[in-house]
Amino acid sequence: MGSLALLTWTFLWLSFLCVGGGLGVIPEMERQAVTVHHWLSAREFVDGYTLAQLTPGPNMLIAVFVGDRAHGLLGALLAGLAMFVPTSVLAIVVSHHWKQWRVRPWAMIAERALVPVGVGLMAGGVYTLGRTAIHDAATAALAAATALAVATDRVPPVLAVLGAGVIGWLLWR
Amino acid sequence: MRRVSLLRLIVVFAWTGLSSLGGGRSAYFHEALVRRRGLISHDEFVQDFTLSQVLPGPNFSNLAVVLGHRLAGFAGGFWGLVAVVLPGAVILLVAGALYAEGALGATAALLMRGSSAGVVGLVAITSLRIMRGSLRGLPAAVVALLTFVAVGPLRLPTVAVVLAMIAVSVALQWGMGAPSAVAPAAPGPAVPGEEA
Repeated sequence: MGSLALLTWTFLWLSFLCVGGGLGVIPEMERQAVTVHHWLSAREFVDGYTLAQLTPGPNMLIAVFVGDRAHGLLGALLAGLAMFVPTSVLAIVVSHHWKQWRVRPWAMIAERALVPVGVGLMAGGVYTLGRTAIHDAATAALAAATALAVATDRVPPVLAVLGAGVIGWLLWR
Repeated sequence: MRRVSLLRLIVVFAWTGLSSLGGGRSAYFHEALVRRRGLISHDEFVQDFTLSQVLPGPNFSNLAVVLGHRLAGFAGGFWGLVAVVLPGAVILLVAGALYAEGALGATAALLMRGSSAGVVGLVAITSLRIMRGSLRGLPAAVVALLTFVAVGPLRLPTVAVVLAMIAVSVALQWGMGAPSAVAPAAPGPAVPGEEA
């Protein structure tokens, strides 16, 4: 029971670290789930993020994946609720008042000040995923090829990612 | 007060959530609510999108909550969240169970290895696009770089880094003067002579 509470608490505070997109919380989530609490391996974590990317809905459903690996369905439910509900309550309350708040100087400064921190965290998320997913020339080439394919705007992201998977399978089987 | 019925909101949001695969998922909401159905104006969407980015929390669910609230009040926010999160959670749990059992075999493991490398390329390019449009001025770039180095290569705890960098960032923005005195920078390359 104590470990379930720990799981819930961890995802609760992690949810408030998602500043400027879920990717920004990936470095700390990986640290907590892999290094600190050993809920899953670094490889499983990257695979979970990949599954969350390939399936519909928010990428932060990775919380549900980690919760499931740690404590089964109940863990998945609690991690998911902790990740989405408290921040959503905050979002609905702020959005109710935002029309009056957004023109105030403090709100504008907060907006300007938070954006670069969010961008830095996002880049940190790319780095953390890359540290596990990219380990040789072939995986680096697959990442670069996917980035180029998506950059053309002609290839749907899901197809580009699955394409990298198929090429990898052809290379390594 | 309500622009759409709750039932319609749930159906539209659930469908948007289910069809949003890959990167840049917020764009699917723009397509569904602004371009295809005209339920929300472009300006309203940009306002809600910015808010969902600034608020802490997963930005896709934040956006669903804020847009749902705009369309149908508090109930709209609640059902918008449920409609966007629940179907994907069930699908991911099924996929996760198959993955854990190794039910898909060695082929799937190799597919995952290539796909996860591909995901890094995808998130790198989508992040680069967001950075290009949102980093204005040298102080912002320095804050972003320091934050990246601290949580990425140095693996420092994000809570401490965020608190410290927010303090630095607020101080820098404050030092640059009241926001109203700062000319809003146009995203992307400025076009000379435009809107003189």
